[in-house]
Amino acid sequence: MSDLFTSLGSFFIGAAGTVGSMGVLFGRILSRLVRLDLDGNELLTNLYKMGVRSLPIVFVTAIFTGGIMVVQAAPTIERYGAHQLLGWGAGFGTLREVGPLLTALMISGRVGANNTAELGTMVVTEQFDALRALAIDPISFLIAPRFVGIVATLFLSTIFADVLALVGAAYAGLPLLGVEPRTFYDGLTSGLLGTGDVLHGLVKSVIFGVVMALASCEFGMTTEGGAPGVGRAVNATVVVTAAGIFVVDYLLSFAL
Amino acid sequence: MTDAPPPPSLDEMLGLEAGPSFDVLRAPREFFADVRELVRVARRTVHFTITGERRPFAIANQMYEIGYRSAAFLCISMGFIGMIFVYQAGIQIRRLIPDTSQLGATFLELLVRDLAASICALLLATRVGAGIAAEIGSMVVTEQLDALRMCAADPIDYLVRPRFVASLAMTLVLTVLAGCVAFLSGMWTAYAFFAMNPRTFADASLVDFGDVAIGLTKCLAYGAAVPIISAYSGLVTRGGSEGVGQATTRAVVMSSLAVIVLNFVISTIGYSLFG
Amino acid sequence: MIRLEAVTKTFERPVLRGVNLHVPEGSVYGLIGAGGAGKSVVVKMIAALVLPDGGEITVNGREILTMTETELAGHRRNIGMVFQNNALFDFMTIGENVAFPLRRLGRVGDSEIRERVAERLSRVGLAGFESRVPAGLSGGQKKRVGIARATITRAPLVLCDEPAAGLDPVTSQRIFDLLRDEQRKSASTVLMVSSDIDRLLTVTDRIGVLHDGRIVFEGTTEETRASEVPLVRQLLNGDNDGPL
Repeated sequence: MSDLFTSLGSFFIGAAGTVGSMGVLFGRILSRLVRLDLDGNELLTNLYKMGVRSLPIVFVTAIFTGGIMVVQAAPTIERYGAHQLLGWGAGFGTLREVGPLLTALMISGRVGANNTAELGTMVVTEQFDALRALAIDPISFLIAPRFVGIVATLFLSTIFADVLALVGAAYAGLPLLGVEPRTFYDGLTSGLLGTGDVLHGLVKSVIFGVVMALASCEFGMTTEGGAPGVGRAVNATVVVTAAGIFVVDYLLSFAL
Repeated sequence: MTDAPPPPSLDEMLGLEAGPSFDVLRAPREFFADVRELVRVARRTVHFTITGERRPFAIANQMYEIGYRSAAFLCISMGFIGMIFVYQAGIQIRRLIPDTSQLGATFLELLVRDLAASICALLLATRVGAGIAAEIGSMVVTEQLDALRMCAADPIDYLVRPRFVASLAMTLVLTVLAGCVAFLSGMWTAYAFFAMNPRTFADASLVDFGDVAIGLTKCLAYGAAVPIISAYSGLVTRGGSEGVGQATTRAVVMSSLAVIVLNFVISTIGYSLFG
Repeated sequence: MIRLEAVTKTFERPVLRGVNLHVPEGSVYGLIGAGGAGKSVVVKMIAALVLPDGGEITVNGREILTMTETELAGHRRNIGMVFQNNALFDFMTIGENVAFPLRRLGRVGDSEIRERVAERLSRVGLAGFESRVPAGLSGGQKKRVGIARATITRAPLVLCDEPAAGLDPVTSQRIFDLLRDEQRKSASTVLMVSSDIDRLLTVTDRIGVLHDGRIVFEGTTEETRASEVPLVRQLLNGDNDGPL
């Protein structure tokens, strides 16, 4: 029984330590960003790389998710004859929750994990130390560009995903419920949904991006133990990002 | 059979660096080749499940691995999701009509029909899928897989099958468990934020046979897809420890995508059948 | 016992360009060559873990490229293999690792399995290690467990891929001597790949030199040592200049 408490206790202490390190890292990155002290080349390379990697996944996920939302709402819509409201129903779910959440989870697997693997491999092959020996600040050269890259990728992907999901939903509405895309669009813009809802989702996506970027960079930089260590770091990134996103989602839902 | 260097590739001749634009043709071809191999692995896994020798210990071991390591994570996540969903839905409904009495019933229906199975599967794809791919991938790069074949032990029988059976069973168990947690946390949220009577919330009147059937089918489909896709990623690992990392992320992404696509397919079929 | 004829294999680039090899029954054959020459590929092909692009491979008079999966399983049962990185199953104990090939044969009872495992482990100097796990062993100990596992079924053919990789000189020599000893006692045929050419030559009967995708020299150990072929001389002396 005391074993359980010990492991629970050490888990929370470890978790607190990690969150703390992530906070410190955030501070260090911010101080570079404020001074615009980051490598432009690296920034562009990362933006391109991460964007290209995410596009196919986001595309497929978003379209299918749009369809799923319609199918799930269908029984309720049929029951109340509320076909006019399909646009609204799919809209609020997508814009406020499903869009940012699902996009973040899918991109975490691609971009977040890959980033950790790259950084981790650099650490275990001593490239990090080599940079420092050349008097190059690893944070502004490597980390800050990736941070911006991940946040930007997530933000843009969420917008992309929102649009695609709604398009998918609109066209799924026709065969499944006989709802014309025109009606769907009207339901969307009828005034029950406002720019507030759109912003709610977008702010979430930025914050998810920060969580993902911090977790990914943190675990990448603190990798130890050779190649198996990189694997462990990647695993930790994916799990912590997912958990962090849920917790943040919960907190934001009540705060905003 | 001369010693001349291999002829230059198209990219080299055009003086271009191999970029994503030239991968467009290669990727779909590789993708379909992958899918064919995946189906082969799936077929052989099912074959061994039915005909293979009984090794209950291996299966029980995997069930423990999957269940024990994921249960807490799943329950906590689903708890949060229950709260978030009920809160958001409650706000939106109140914009439309003041009556939130159907909130619990609708939530339960959605949970049974879709949310519990799908979200649990996505989370399990992250944990379990990554774990399976990493384990099998490491065995490939350390030649343990070759050693198994040398002892006339089929890797699919020995490695994939126990994980497949365990995942089928545990996905079901964990989904039901986590679903309950989500419902209870939703109930609490409705009470705390909308002053809803828990008894009103705990309304199962909208859940019919069709919903249960669809939810169950999803559970089984996800429980089958995640281990097979992850095991496949592990089996085709190339290139040392870096390859294992790539296999892991590929397993997570592909399993998640499969869950989403299966969700859509099963939901649509279910809707046409049961309405 | 083993015969390769005109075997070719291409990965990203051509690795084997027409290998002709002959391992007589009951002998210890050493396959040497520069790094990356394709020696491990040859070994894996004989074990049917990798398929060639062209050519023929005959083991014990049977063409293995035309075998079905079932026949291949039988073929592999007659081979014991020592892997470069040991390939011990890290989810099993040492005892279970060594017992595994024997268990897979299916016709041996539990008590006999236990006896033979104990005998094998003491033969390689690891008596009483049954309940330990691979993770806790040194490199040399893992190699010896690998040898115990490869020889427990008394297979007529033993393949060794870099049996002394990464070991200190003393342990390396012990491993080679152990393999030679086993071969004498069981009259099996052994094919060894090693970069440690000096030590390899102390235990082999015949040598094959793999270079540029082909066997450029094959002969007895004495013939190899006395050879005037520049490539062979360079390999044996470890010189910097020469064809390599």
